Parts: sequence; C-alpha cells; structure tokens
Amino acid sequence: MIGAALNITTSLRGALRPSVTISVAAVVAAALVGLALIFAMNVPVVDAVAAFVDGTIGTPYAIAASINRSIAFALVGIGFVIANRANLVNVGGEGQIAVGGIAATAVALYGHVAGLPAGLSFLIPLVAAAIAGMLWASIAGVLKIKAGTNEVISTLLLSFIAVWLVYWCVQSPELLRKPMTSSATLPESLEIPDSTQLPLLTGDYSFPVHIGLPVTIVIAIVAAIVLSKTAFGLQLRAVGFNPIAASRAGISYSRMVLISLAAAGALGGLAGGFMLLGEQYVLKDGFSSGYGFDGLVAGLLARGSIVGVIAAALLFGFLRSGGINMEMVAGVPTALVMVIQGLIVVTLAGASFFIGRRT
Amino acid sequence: MRDPTRSLAEPLLSLRCVTKRFGSLVALANASLDLMPGEVHCILGENGAGKSTLCNLIFGVHTPDEGAMRFHGENYRPAGPSDALTSGIAMVHQHFSLVHDMTVVDNVILGQQRGFVNTRTWAQRLDRLANDYGLALDPYAKIDDLSVGERQRVEIVKCLIRQPRLFLLDEPTAVLLPEEIAALLDVCRRVAESGCAVVLVTHKLAEIKKAADRVTVLRGGRVVARSDHPADEIDALVRAMIQGDLKSLDKSAASALGVVEAGGDQVEKSAPTPQTPRQEAVQIDGLSVIDTQGVTRLDNFTLTIGPGEIVGVAGVEGNGQSELAAALSGMAAPSRGRVFLGNIETTHLSPKDITAAGIGVVPEDRHTVGCVVEMSVAENMFLNRLKDFTSFGFLRRKELVQAARELMRRFDVRAVSAEVAFSALSGGNQQKAVLAREITLPKLLFLLAAQPTRGLDVGAVAAVYGHIRSACQSGAAVLLISSELDELIAVADRIVVLYRGRIMGTCAADPSERERIGGMMAGQAQ
Repeated sequence: MIGAALNITTSLRGALRPSVTISVAAVVAAALVGLALIFAMNVPVVDAVAAFVDGTIGTPYAIAASINRSIAFALVGIGFVIANRANLVNVGGEGQIAVGGIAATAVALYGHVAGLPAGLSFLIPLVAAAIAGMLWASIAGVLKIKAGTNEVISTLLLSFIAVWLVYWCVQSPELLRKPMTSSATLPESLEIPDSTQLPLLTGDYSFPVHIGLPVTIVIAIVAAIVLSKTAFGLQLRAVGFNPIAASRAGISYSRMVLISLAAAGALGGLAGGFMLLGEQYVLKDGFSSGYGFDGLVAGLLARGSIVGVIAAALLFGFLRSGGINMEMVAGVPTALVMVIQGLIVVTLAGASFFIGRRT
Repeated sequence: MRDPTRSLAEPLLSLRCVTKRFGSLVALANASLDLMPGEVHCILGENGAGKSTLCNLIFGVHTPDEGAMRFHGENYRPAGPSDALTSGIAMVHQHFSLVHDMTVVDNVILGQQRGFVNTRTWAQRLDRLANDYGLALDPYAKIDDLSVGERQRVEIVKCLIRQPRLFLLDEPTAVLLPEEIAALLDVCRRVAESGCAVVLVTHKLAEIKKAADRVTVLRGGRVVARSDHPADEIDALVRAMIQGDLKSLDKSAASALGVVEAGGDQVEKSAPTPQTPRQEAVQIDGLSVIDTQGVTRLDNFTLTIGPGEIVGVAGVEGNGQSELAAALSGMAAPSRGRVFLGNIETTHLSPKDITAAGIGVVPEDRHTVGCVVEMSVAENMFLNRLKDFTSFGFLRRKELVQAARELMRRFDVRAVSAEVAFSALSGGNQQKAVLAREITLPKLLFLLAAQPTRGLDVGAVAAVYGHIRSACQSGAAVLLISSELDELIAVADRIVVLYRGRIMGTCAADPSERERIGGMMAGQAQ
C-alpha cells in the first residue's frame, strides 16, 4: 500500500521535474506581472488580452507568422544547447542570423541559382546561409582555442559587427543595395526571385508556414539523438564538464569547441536564411530585430533539453506576434513583451540559484 | 591516561545518539561521544565511515537529524560554522581555504576583523602564537610561496588565534612529510596541554600510537570501538576499523600504514627483475620542464625502467613530480628531453596517442584529470576507449555498461550501479575505477601512477598496490610517484629522489635506506 503510494509520488515527481515546474512557474509569474503592467497603464485588460489572442491564434495568418518566428528561435536555441553541452555560451545568434541573411540574399540575387531545378534554387542560398553562420561562429571558436578568448565576449562582439555588416550591405549600391533609381530608393536589397523563395507548406499565402518547419523538426530530432545517443554527444559532455580529464582521455578540446560552435553558428545562419527566403524576401537594415537574442533565451530557458527549446521557441514566437498586435490594436507598447521575456529569464536564473543552493 | 582525575571531569562536548542521514544514506547512526578538555581524541575509520560527517556536525556544517549535542553542559545546536566559531570551536578542513595571492597575516586576519586593520599587531600576535606552539611561519610570506606543510600551519594558526576550546582537524596529515607529521602531532599535543580538546581525524595508525589519548573508531557510521589506551590496543582498533583480521591485510599496505614496521620478511616484493632493459623498457632521457615564468621545474630527468620493474619517485610535493607526470602523460610538452617506449618515441604525442601506445596514467589529481565526476561510472571507465563501443557514431550503451560492470567486479569497484554519477563513489572506489581503466588498456607497457593512494583507506590502499603489482607482473614498467616514503619502500624496487626538479640520487627501496632518502628529500647531496 505504502509502497504503491511511494511509487506514485516518485513518478509524479519525475513528471514534475523541478526544471519543468520552475520554467512554467516563471512564465506564469511573468505573465501576471505583464497583466498588472497593462492594468497600470490604464488600458482595459480585456481589450489588451483580446488583441493579444487575436495576434497569436486569431487568424491562420497570425498562427503561421508565429510559427515562422518560432522556427528561427528554435534553430538558434538548438544551437545554443549544442554549444552549451561543451560548456560554451553562444550569445552570437543575432550575428549568425545576420550573416546568414546576407549570404542567402547574395546567393539568391547574384548566384545564378534562380533557374536551377529540383529546389536547388532555394536550397543553395539556404546552404550558403548556414555556411556563413558556421564560419562566423568559427571565428569565435578559433579565438577561443588559440587565444583563450571568452566566447561570450567574442560571439557578442561578432554580432555587432554582423549587424553593421547588414547595414553596410544594404547601404552600398556596389554591395547588395538595389539600383538607385531616385534619391527616394530605400536602402534595401532587391526582392529575391520567386524561385528562390521558400515554398509554403500549404501553398496558400493566407497560411504562410514555409518548409522551414519540417526542416527544423528534423534538425531538432537529429540534434536530440546526437546529443543523447552518440559517442560524440558523450565527448561533448565530457569536455563541458571537465576539459582536462576529457583531454587526458584523448578527447580533443579544440575539436569539440570548434565543432559545437560551428554547429551553433550553422543553425543560426540557417535561421537567417529561413527568415529571408521564407518571409521577408528583401534584406534591409535590422531585418532580424533581436531574433538571435530571443533564440538564446529559448536555449537558456530549455535548460539543455531540445524539447524544452521547441516549447520555449513556440512560446516566444506566439508571445512576440501577440505583442505586436497588442500594440497595433490596444495601444500597449510591444516592449511589454520584452519586459515579460526579461522577467522570465530573471525568474529562472533566480530560481536555479536557489535550487542549486538547496541540493 | 595521563591524568587519572580527568575522566571524572565534565566533558567539554558530548554527543548523544546523534544520527545524520543524506537521503537514504545513513552517514552517522546513533553515535555518542565525549570530548574532554586537554585530550587528543583520535577519530579512526575508513573512508565513508562517517568521520568527516561527525566533524561537520560539531562544526555546524550539517545539523543532526536525531540526537543531541551538549557543549559545556549546555544544549548546542549550531546553525552554521559561524555559530561554532563563536562558541569556541575551530576546524582545519581537509582542503585548505587560503587566498593564494595574499600574505600569511592577511589570510589570518580575513574574516576576523572588520573596519581598520593593523597588520603589524596581528603579525606580532602571530609570532607569539607561533612561538608558543612551535609553528614557525613568516607572517609576511605569500601563500603561493609556501609549501603544503606551511600552508597547513597557516590554517592551524587561523584557528588557534581564536583561542578555541575545541579544535578539529580533518585528516590533517594526508599531505605532509614524515617530519612535518611529527611536528603537527607535537602541536596537537601542546594545544591539548593548554586545556583545549583536540579532535584528530585519521586513518593512519602510527599517528594514533604517537599522539592519541583516546580513540573512537567508526565504521559504517557507527561507533564500533573506543579505547582509553590506544597505543596498547592498536591491533584491536584496526580489526574494528576494517572488520577483519590484520593477517588478511596486504603486507605492504600494512607497513605503509604503520601497522607493522616496514622491512624484514613481512614485506613481499615482486621478484626483483633487474634484467638489462629490453626493447619494451621505458627510457626517459634528459626530460626538462621550464614553466612560463622561466623557472626550471624539472631538470634533466633521466631514468630507464625495465619491464616488470617498479621505480618509485620520492620527494616532497612540489619538487617536479607533477611536471614529470604531466610531461609523461602528454598533458604538457616538455621543454627538452625525450621519452621512449621501447623504440617508439612518445615525447610529443597527444594524450590520445599516448594511451594508444600503451601508457596507462593514474593522475595525481583524480578529480580534475582522472575522471569526469558528473558523468556515470561506466562512461568514465571507457571514456578513453569509446571507439570500442561505437558503431556508426552511435554508442552501444548497453554493451558499455555491461563491460563496465565486468570491470567493476574484477577491480572490486563498489557502486550502486554502473550508471550512477562518478561523484557518488567513495575516494577509494573512484581510484580503483581509474586504475581499472588504465591497467586494462589493450597493451599496457608502462603504468604511470602519481600519488595513487592519497586519501584512500586501508582496504583500498591494499587493492591499489595489488593492481599495480599485477600490472608489473604482466610485464609493464611502473613509475610510482608518491610523497609517502613508506609506500615507496613497501612497493617499489628502487627509488629515485627528486629535489627541486633534479634527481638527488637513486637507491634501493629498502627500509635501511630511509634516512638517506629522507636526507635527499631535504636536499642533502649524497
């Protein structure tokens, strides 16, 4: 009798692992603070919530936009988790998205891919985006291996550089700016050819989820398997826990650092490629608007679990969409969504601190 | 024992039926203990017997689940170490907590005073204290420049300057030289004579013979024996500690621990195999390590080890042993010199290739180099051979765990399962696991073991010696680096002595050479 009761409690405890309960609690607490802030702004809470819901799941278009956003967050988040297994903190998602976007635009517009058959017209720009992100992150990897530069600093600074690279590219006619026909020509690239735009899953522009969704799901599954079932995943963990012992056991620290950062960068670049080829079609300044940092937060929130990344990415994707609609319809600044996100992170960090102390 | 009236006196601290659990593990069960003012009370027990838990309960690090403690006849329930300190209880932990960039006196002042600090008065107090107890220390020396023994003296002074009434030392002699141990025991004696109760946690019996007034033996968290005349009852205490017979104890482990005198016909060594070095012998030729500051840490180390030979490296810690081990194991490139395994040069090979060449390494620092404590026992046991359990990149985890179980059985590594975290193992079992991994390398030609028995209990020490010997009997050359001279004399065939990175001399591992070796360890040329 008692044994059965014990069994039930332990299995319950297993289901409600502290990490999961805490994440949910953090999200709920932050949402409550958000509601309180809306109330304090003298906006009718009901209107604001209605606008939020409308912006997230009100229309098929809203759902699709939220999903597309979540895809970018998820890719960056998965990359974060991979690098984090080696105890690396990749905060360069934003920059990796940016170089991915540049590469995708450049190849789609000037790579003579538009006429290629069998989907190569959009696959080649996508691969270019991933490679660009990979190389960008590898700079931080090489700096870490050769000079011991902290990857938090290097990936962050590389992000700033990449964001300004986008600016440079779209401002200079000799780079990616569209031909200047008048002084009113906007500083942005030409629209990429139709054949290089990602096919939509439904083919219907009222529900514009692109093929990034299945690709991301496959990547998530592969990443989860590699991390948990392969020797490589084990070696990555060993390096993350104890680089000296790992190296004594014949695992190359440099190799692990480089591979994991490169993988994270490739996923960031791919996210940039998806954003450009699947939604925006035109490269302009600020085309990422902080997606890299949201992805990073998704990775943090997930505490190392790929499933967690997906959940967090979806949460943030819908949160962002709802926030934008809330601003347009109810007049609540979208910055509120950022506040909520920030609160989630702070709550989580605080909670994990207390958990760490208890055990 | 020294003062018959004292047993009538009131105990300074008494524990009554104290129990402490960590999860399902009962670390201390129903333990009762009286500590008298003016006595040196030894707590004896193997690793995991509950010695440290006992100290931590008294010092307020943990709170007991059951039972009561009385200090000076009053109820005593410290909420933390600061409560213990204010009550007049001080503790020297196994691991030092010193700020390396600061001077001795600054370290002593830390945490003792707020506001303005007059370093000079503190230094004078320090000098007085040092004179009273025979603890020579330069108050203005930097911790970085001190030897391990001196650092421990700083920790002791940090405690004594508070004038404690109860002084706990958790395995203080594990890192010390023979003469430093003697000096420490002398300090304990003097502190006790000043009316303080001294608790000395140890598993070395020689120390008990020398210093203890009374002994309490723990095993599996229970008090299993007490003695008011420990020097006369050593055998009984050992039996109580290991729950076995002295005769079953490995002879050299016994002599290394001081149960029996080293030497004589009690110590069996591997059959002497002083044959001329064959092809597989290890040749270390003029190995030198110069650190980043340009200091020569290892100077022209030249040594040949024959197959089946155990060569011991003696020396006070910090005289080049760590650098020697790092260079031989591929963890740091030597500045000069070459290393040959048979006719293969291994000087600049990566750790991976060194393992592949047949060099097994038991690193000095088990926790930072030997294993990844966060990962499972099975993963740790094959971390350097994951390839054998991988197909198409996928880990054959079942097979890995199965193989680990087999190895754990062979090497008597005790753990709940092969899949628990390595950190859940006791120190002895961790070391046995590391040994198991390194000794079972496909073709072991050379075993490098650095301080392999540090912090281990009697049973584990015996097991480690047994495994090292079996490696040597199967033809591997063994280099045993140890700061325990008794251990080297008991296990090695010959001993080289390192002093300031240089070989001071070589001699047979014979108890009669003890003094000569001791002299060379202190830098006397022969």
